[in-house]
Amino acid sequence: MQNLISNFNYVIVVILMMIGLWSMLAQKNLIKKCIGMAIFQTGIILFFISIGAKDNALIPILTEAANHTYHDPDVAKVANPLTQILMLTAIVVGVATLGVGLALAQKIYQQHSSFDEDEILENQRK
Amino acid sequence: MSTLPIWQFDALLLIMVVLFAVVALSIRNLMGAAIVFGAYSFMMCLIWAGMGAVDVAFTEAAVGAGVSTVFVMSTLYNTGATMHRRTGGLAFKLFIGVVVTVAGVFLLSALPDLPAWGDPDSPVNAAVAPYYITHTIADAHVPNVVTSVLADYRGFDTLLETTVVFIACIAIYSILRVDKAKLETDEPAVVAAPRYDPGDSLIVRQASRFMVPFMQLFALYVIAHGHYSPGGGFQGGVILGASLILLAISFDLKFLLRQWSEKTLMMLVASGVFLYAAVGLACVFMGGNYLDYGELNSILPGERDMARSHGILLVEIGVGITVMFSMIAIHINLASNGRFDRGL
Repeated sequence: MQNLISNFNYVIVVILMMIGLWSMLAQKNLIKKCIGMAIFQTGIILFFISIGAKDNALIPILTEAANHTYHDPDVAKVANPLTQILMLTAIVVGVATLGVGLALAQKIYQQHSSFDEDEILENQRK
Repeated sequence: MSTLPIWQFDALLLIMVVLFAVVALSIRNLMGAAIVFGAYSFMMCLIWAGMGAVDVAFTEAAVGAGVSTVFVMSTLYNTGATMHRRTGGLAFKLFIGVVVTVAGVFLLSALPDLPAWGDPDSPVNAAVAPYYITHTIADAHVPNVVTSVLADYRGFDTLLETTVVFIACIAIYSILRVDKAKLETDEPAVVAAPRYDPGDSLIVRQASRFMVPFMQLFALYVIAHGHYSPGGGFQGGVILGASLILLAISFDLKFLLRQWSEKTLMMLVASGVFLYAAVGLACVFMGGNYLDYGELNSILPGERDMARSHGILLVEIGVGITVMFSMIAIHINLASNGRFDRGL
């Protein structure tokens, strides 16, 4: 229980991922499925960012270096840059894939005039 | 380590985020869901900024809260904005709820194995990341470690991510784009009549006419100053794309397409990836490895470390071009239903 409270962020990650997964499986509306997918994705990004965060750390920009008063940075006081760049590119790729999902949804709407999964299936059986 | 959550303010925001996610998924009006999802993204970007991930927060503010909301809205503009009230299916939803809860409990059971929140000595923080922090100045003269890891140490990753954006853009073209000549003989596509044309509003038009140059100037600063402050090709590219999307919304899609024809857009999307790959290839011709910008010191000013810094800038410009024009191309396709005539 103590672990659950001090590592509250992981609990939120799991909740967000499961909300997104539930929406992708249970919701019938295609747009809601797309939003659920995006929520699942932000849950994973939150996991990576919080695993790379450090207690009382600064942002990974070494400002002393810009002023030429540079000496070796204290690694424990700089947030982990590696997890951040992995997630930075994932966000931009995420919006591109969201665009593909929405394009597919729009194409389906052109054919069936509905976003509802059940109505689309009914239409196809006719 | 104290046993309390180390960032109390973050704990509040994390609860807010879950509430926003639930609201975004349960609200019946789809336009409302899109807006709540934008607010959710903005909350998320506050959390990430609090954890020291300023570049990620910046990207999320531009992409999640900005462009992806516009994408959902332009899809809804062409289709219906509401869900019908449905009866039944409750048993199925509950069943999925149980399945998802069980999966969540399994995931939570792995929690004791994870490193504590904010532990600087965890395997993630102690393995390779310290190398980047201690070597970035000597290697590349880039104080923003995220930029140097993004474009230099892990340049391959970013090159392929940029390619993924390019491929997604092509995919959307091949899904939605329809031929004009074919359209005239075919039955008209199902399109809701526009209820409100924002291009009619004088205030919106004049305000965006005033805003766009400043947005573009800021975006260029973000790309060029990414070495020293949060920012870079991805963020700047998205802001540049958003400035032109604003023009397309406030004026007319035709207004945008007069300046950037479809062909030009596609060529520019490809040219960004090409610039990135060409910089890498130039390093090979100079006698180094692929994307080893240090070898460019014979044509770029400065020593090896400055050459790497300049190589990063070239690559970021390539990323910016691809991201900017693919965002515009995706928006035009979604807003006009692939017909490139009129739309949101």
